[in-house]
Parts: sequence; structure tokens; C-alpha cells
Amino acid sequence: QSTIKWRMQTYAGPALAEHVVKPAIDMFNQIAGDKMQIELFFADQLVPTGELFQAMQRGTIDAVQSDDDSMASPTEVTVFGGYFPFASRYSLDVPVLFNQYGLNEIWDAEYSAVGVKHISAGAWDPCHFATKDPINSLEDLKGKRVFTFPTAGRFLAQFGVVPVTLPWEDIEVAVQTGELDGIAWSGITEDYTVGWADVTNYFLTNNISGAWAGSFFANMDRWNELPDDLKTLFRVCCDQSHYYRQWWYWGGEASLRVNGPKMELTTIPDAEWAQVEEAAVKFWDEIAAESETKAKVVDIIKKYNADMQKAGRPYRYG
Amino acid sequence: MSYEMIAIFMFATMMAMLLTGQRVFGAIGFVAVIAALVLWGDRGGYDIAFSSAMKLMKWYPLLTLPMFIFMGYVLSESKIADDLYKMFHVWMGGLKGGLAIGTIGLMVLISAMNGLSVAGMAIGATIALPELLKRNYDKRMVTGVIQAGSSLGILVPPSVVLVLYAMIARQPVGQLWLAGVVPGLMMAAMFIIYIAVRCHLNPTLGPALPKEDRDIPMSEKLALLRAGMLPLVIFAAMMVPFVNGWTSLVESSAIGALTAFLAAVVKGRMTREVFETSVRMTLGISCMFMWIILAALAFGAVFDGLGAVKAIETLFTERLGLNPWVILILMQLSFILMGTFLDDTAMLVIVAPLYVPLVAALGFDLIWYGVLYTITTQIAYMTPPFGYNLFLMRAMAPPEITLRDIYGSILPFVLVMVLALTLVILFPDIALWLPGWVYGN
Amino acid sequence: MTALRKFISFVDQINYRIGRVTMYGIFVMMAILLWSSISKTFFNPSLWTLEMAQFAMVAYYILGGPYSIQMGSNVRMDLLYGGWSTRRKAAVDCVTVLFLIFYLAILLWGGIDSTAYSFKYGGERSPTAWRPYLWPIKVIMCIGITLMLLQAISELFKDILRLRGEEIDNVV
Ligand code: NA
Ligand code: NA
Repeated sequence: QSTIKWRMQTYAGPALAEHVVKPAIDMFNQIAGDKMQIELFFADQLVPTGELFQAMQRGTIDAVQSDDDSMASPTEVTVFGGYFPFASRYSLDVPVLFNQYGLNEIWDAEYSAVGVKHISAGAWDPCHFATKDPINSLEDLKGKRVFTFPTAGRFLAQFGVVPVTLPWEDIEVAVQTGELDGIAWSGITEDYTVGWADVTNYFLTNNISGAWAGSFFANMDRWNELPDDLKTLFRVCCDQSHYYRQWWYWGGEASLRVNGPKMELTTIPDAEWAQVEEAAVKFWDEIAAESETKAKVVDIIKKYNADMQKAGRPYRYG
Repeated sequence: MSYEMIAIFMFATMMAMLLTGQRVFGAIGFVAVIAALVLWGDRGGYDIAFSSAMKLMKWYPLLTLPMFIFMGYVLSESKIADDLYKMFHVWMGGLKGGLAIGTIGLMVLISAMNGLSVAGMAIGATIALPELLKRNYDKRMVTGVIQAGSSLGILVPPSVVLVLYAMIARQPVGQLWLAGVVPGLMMAAMFIIYIAVRCHLNPTLGPALPKEDRDIPMSEKLALLRAGMLPLVIFAAMMVPFVNGWTSLVESSAIGALTAFLAAVVKGRMTREVFETSVRMTLGISCMFMWIILAALAFGAVFDGLGAVKAIETLFTERLGLNPWVILILMQLSFILMGTFLDDTAMLVIVAPLYVPLVAALGFDLIWYGVLYTITTQIAYMTPPFGYNLFLMRAMAPPEITLRDIYGSILPFVLVMVLALTLVILFPDIALWLPGWVYGN
Repeated sequence: MTALRKFISFVDQINYRIGRVTMYGIFVMMAILLWSSISKTFFNPSLWTLEMAQFAMVAYYILGGPYSIQMGSNVRMDLLYGGWSTRRKAAVDCVTVLFLIFYLAILLWGGIDSTAYSFKYGGERSPTAWRPYLWPIKVIMCIGITLMLLQAISELFKDILRLRGEEIDNVV
């Protein structure tokens, strides 16, 4: 029997992929051996991120690791994948929302309808600003050209941020060529890992999301063709990847804030930042009004956050 | 078939296709789509060609390409560089070989105003060349001077070649441009020393202008010096806002193109004909570049998808056990060799995606390599039988300059360039000092 | 043979006119980029400028492509080719232009598929804050690639006529 071969493209460039996906795929290949091998490609390597979803539908690419938002998947849940503002506070919130609050079922239905298998969602890092000039107040956000997620950009526009979307691999250069004033795409671990800490000077400790949701996807036919043991192995490796990120980001964020030499920390006072949090709740309602499915997801997010609030410490402080 | 074999097969087929003389983008694109269909045809694969077009669209620094091309055509077609040439003529003419030395100076100024070698070549061939021949300069010497001098256009910022390289190597354009400054000026100085020495040893190669030709009033001389301000103005209009972070790179290129256009209008040189030629030629040359890049991106995606780069790296480092420096030197040599029979635009977009990942894997600095890459491209531009500069020279030179003269003229200059290349390899600080100083690391 | 001539003149005329209009696209790109720097310096930076400039660039080189073929701007490697007679060039081109046509056809195939996708699911939008619909630029690209294909076929027909010893006068 011949080896099953898959091509998988990730949203991440080589430096980041070294942490967020490569270890899991290496493990998969090692265990699967002659049965199956996955070839991993980095951001924009085979197809540009904008064409990623359709390439997976056609089968030019068998599997994808990305958030729903940046690859613009044609589903009702796209706005929630990536950073839906203030939906989560900690990285553990994401798997709980998916596994215990019913997001898995909604995602599965949405993607099955467009011929794609949603395999597994995981929590990635929080969303902070990394900028060339310091941000100490909401006023400082005005007019900043910032690389961010489409939905986060839509939300941040009301504070005068000018969201810019460019190929992921071009961001470092774009900050230097003046196309961007900053980045609101990740936590500080990624800023250091991918080199953005070298081209920006300041890190804002306030975040607009505690952890984003990103997923592994596959072409539906390719997935269905897999024998059950390989399906299970793939899921296990996805979980391994999610687990790696849980501690890599959690520890990395704290350590680099305290010990990182390249970026100076700034903070917008809580009272002022509360305006952003209030705006997020309004934004949730705007999104909920767009469709029934979106309303369903927003309700789940609201219920989850209310539960966490009631549960008290350590789930929520204050 | 192993990946190495498929990679070699793809490369060999492309070379064979190129030899048929079909348009370069057609040859590259054909091999790319055939390989994609054969390898991935059972599941998609036909969409790689088009998704490359979407990839190209997202490569925002490519917007500088039509801008710099337009700028170059406006400068050369409108002949606003005439005064510049006259300036060097009267100020340098008294020296042995002075007009040739002045021509190198002219080329440096023109290089600072545009990103390709076309403009320098056109200006040199139409303004400087006839004058120099009239003054009994050796025709081989001046043909070489103009070709070598105009090649500075891609090393002295702004440089289209370095923009393309930056995109492929994912390196900051600003630092790459700064890295090109010192090597560019060093190379210009080396050309000047070469001319001065040769003309000193053999004054018939570049006789000094007779006194009556240079005997013009000081006020007029000073007025001509003002002409030297024009490139400075255009350069400043483009670079000052960029360096200060007021505008981005692509915005600056548009400002540069507009400034050059306005300068031609103000000087009354923007005739209907100049306008029409600049606009039309910009479209032609931009399309040539873009369609080749489009096809090369598809080729690169398939090549990359095969893991070919990895295979080649493994071949060199593990199987052949070569030292990184040996590999680097072999790469530059193969680059020059390819330049002798491969079209340089194609070479530019094919060689970089192949070599750059390898250079990075070997642990070399990619800014420094960008300069090596550009100098090697310059050499390839001039080495027969294929060379952009050779072709342009053939098209633009007066009839008394034969093809044999053109081919014969470049040898000493190529040797000077190889010497410059060697110096930059041995002393990386020649390239890296300025960007390090400006960006403070 | 008159059918071939009719085709050639029809395609070349259309592409010539489109190219003549497209060449002014350089000023469109320039204007967008200048507006971008003006809006950034004096007001709030515009959301749409970079993407709009990219759309303009793509339209510029794809729609201008056929005219650039007419102008002979597309470089060929003429190590051997350069030395051949017109007849020999025509004979070889007759074959090798089929490779070009094949490439353009596959390019168009992917283009049509991607364009069809851009109409599905309520219209594909660019994943940016500006969120423009992508079908207009994809339709323009498909039209441009089709025109390029027609121009390549026209070149083939010209070579066939040349091989039959007929004179070809170019529009350009
Ligand atoms: Na230049
Ligand atoms: Na050459």
C-alpha cells in the first residue's frame, strides 16, 4: 500500500511555525511512518492566504492551519475566528467554549456546508499592540496604520486606528518601509519570535482579546478517505499542538514582559480602557444582528463570560 | 522519480524552452503549469498559475516598479540631463580622460534618480557618447564607460533590483538600499581610477579638451553647476519624506515619478512626443517585468512545493560536504555563467528564489548577500552574448560602434566589477557599515 | 486566409485600443499613491489606497499585456533565435507559441474558477478592514488573460501567413 501524502499550508512563516505547527506535524510523520506523510508549507508559500480556502476546497492543498478570519472562509463564523474583541480573557477560555459551550457543533455544521472539515480549534496568543511610537492613551491610537485581523480592524477603526492587511511575511519589512506604524496581531512572544520586536519599540499591555481561536481544517474528501486510526492520530497531534501553545504563550508572555530587552511596556489606564471594553459589547450586538448563526455564537460568548464572572476568582477578578 | 530529479528536469526543460526563443514568460509559465498538472493534477494544481497572480497583487513594493520605470523614461526622453552632461564637460574636460570620468559622475547622479540601468544607458548613449567620439576618445573605452556606469543604476538607491530582491529575501528595502550606497560609490571610484590610469598611460584613449573649448566665463561655469542641483532635488523629494517616515516606500516612488515629470514640464522639455514615448514605454517595460514575475512565481511555487530548495541544500552541504564559503563562491560563479547565456530579467527572478533560501540556510547575512547579488547581476547585465546593457547599447549606439566594439569594450570594466565583488565578499562592512550606522545596530 | 487576416486585424485593433487607454494607468497609480501620502500627512490615512493601488497595478499589466506583445516588449532569449531568418523564426514560433497559449489557457482556467468562487457565498470580499468585493478585479483579470490569449493566437496566425510568404503589417 502506498503512502498517503498530504500538503498542508499554515498561516505562519517559518520562524513562528517552528513552534505553532511544525512539532506536531513532525510527530505525526514520525508516528504515521509509511502510512502517511504531511508536507508542511509556510505562509503564502504555495498559494497566497487569500486563495487558501478555495485551494483547500479544490484539493490543491489538503489541509490548512489558520484562523477563520484571515483566510476569509465563506461561513457565518468567520468573524469569530481570530480575535473577536474581548470574547476571551485566558487561553483556556477557547477550548472550553468549543468543547463545553457548543461552538464545535456550530463550526462543524458551517464548514461541512462548504465542503471543508473543521478538525479542531485551539487557543493561540492574546492580541496586543506593538508600535514604533508609545501608546499611553486612546488618543495615541488615532491615525496609526496597524497590521491586524480584519474583524479586529473593523472594531478598532472607531478609535481612529487604520487597519492594514498585508501578507504575513511582509510585515517586518512593511514596518521599516513605513507602510505600517505598528502591529496588533499577537502577544509579545510572537513579537520576539518572528522579529517584530526588532522593528518596533513599544508594547501595550492592554489587550483586545485574551486569546484568539485558530483551527486545523482539511478538504472534506481527503478527510473522509483517511482510515480511522490516521484520523485519530491527526486529532491527537492537533491537540498536542494546542497544548504546546498553552504553555509556550502563557509562560512566554510573562517572561518577555519582565525580562525582554527589546520592547518598552506602556499601559492605558483601566478607566480609559473601559471605553474600549464597552464598545466591544456594542460591537457584539452589531455582529449578532447580522445573522441567526452569529446571534447564536454571540449568545454563547455572552453566557460564557457571565458564568465566568459569577464563578469569581480565579476565573475573573473584579 | 526523486525530488532532485524532478527539480533538475524542470530546470532543464525551462532552459530548453528558453533556447527556442519564445517569450521568456511563456517558456517559464509553460514549464510551471505542466509540472503542476503532472504532479498535482489529480487534485487541483491548475490553479497555481492564477493564484500566483493574486500573490503578485499582494506584493505591494512592486508598485515601485512602474514608478521608477516611468521616472527613468522621463529623465532620458526629455533630455533634462543635457545640462548635467555640459556641467561635467566644462569642469572635467581639461583632464586626460576627463570627459570619461565626468561621464561616470553623470551616471552616478542619474543612478540616484532612477532604479534601473535603462535611463543611464539612454542618456549616456544619446548625450555623452556622440560628444566623446567627436573629441577623439577611444570608442571602446567610451562604450565600456557608458555600459559600466549605467549599471550603477541598480546598485545606487533607489534600485528596482534591490526591491525585487527584498521581496524575495523578505529583507527591509531601506537597509538594502543603504547597503548599496558605499559599494556603488566605491565601484564608481574604481572605474574613475581605471580610466585615469589608462588615459594617463595612453593619452590618445582620452585626450584632454583643447583650452579654447573649455575657455568659457566663470559665471557660465557656475550656472552649469546649478544643473547639478536637479538630481539632488529629485533625490531629496523622494528620499527625505521616506527616511523621515512621512511617506512609505511606494508613496515615495510616486513622488519621485511626479517630481521628475514636473521637472521636465518646468524645463519645457515635456513635449507631446516625449510624453507619449515615456507613457507607452513604461507600459511595455512594466508588462515585460510583471508577466515574467507572474510566470516565475508559479514556477517558484511548484519548485518550492517539491521541496526542491531543500533537496539542493542537502545535496551541497551533506552529500557533497562543501564549506559554506565554497558554496557561496560557486553560486556567484554559476550566476555569472548563467548571465552569459540566460536573459537577465529571467535570471533575476529565477536565481533569487533558488539561491536566497540556500544563502540563508548557510547562515550568511541576507542584506550583505543582496549587495553581492546586485553586483553579480550588474556583471551579468554586461557579459556577452546576453546582457540587457549590451542589447540597449546595440540599439542606441551610433553605427560606427560595431557589435565587436561593444563586446570588446566591457572586459576591463567587468574585471573592475569582479574586483569590487571580491572586496565586498572579503570586507562585508563595505556594505553593512552604512545601514548599521543609520539603523543603529 | 482572409479569415486569418480578419481575425488578426480584429484582435490587434481591440488590444491596441485597450492598451492605448491602459497605458495612462500609470497616472492612476500615481494619483492613488499621492493621495495616500497626502491623506496620511494632513488627515486620517485612507483605508483603501494601498489595495486600490494594487488593483490598479494588476489591471495595468494584465490589460496592457497584449499591447506589450504588439510592441515586442516581451524579451526573448535570442542566443539562437536572434540569428535566424524571418521565415525560420516564424516556423519555430508557430510551434512554441502553442506553449505560450497552453500556459495562458491554464492561467485562464484558474482565473475563471477563482472568479466563480468570488461570486459564491454572497460575494468574496478581501479580508481587510476596507473589505472590497473581489469579483471586479478578478473579472478584469479574466478579460485581460482572454485578450492575451487572443493576441497569442493572432501571433500564431501571423506566423502562418509569414510562412506562406505573405506580408504582415503591424498595427503598432
Ligand atoms: Na538607482
Ligand atoms: Na550577460
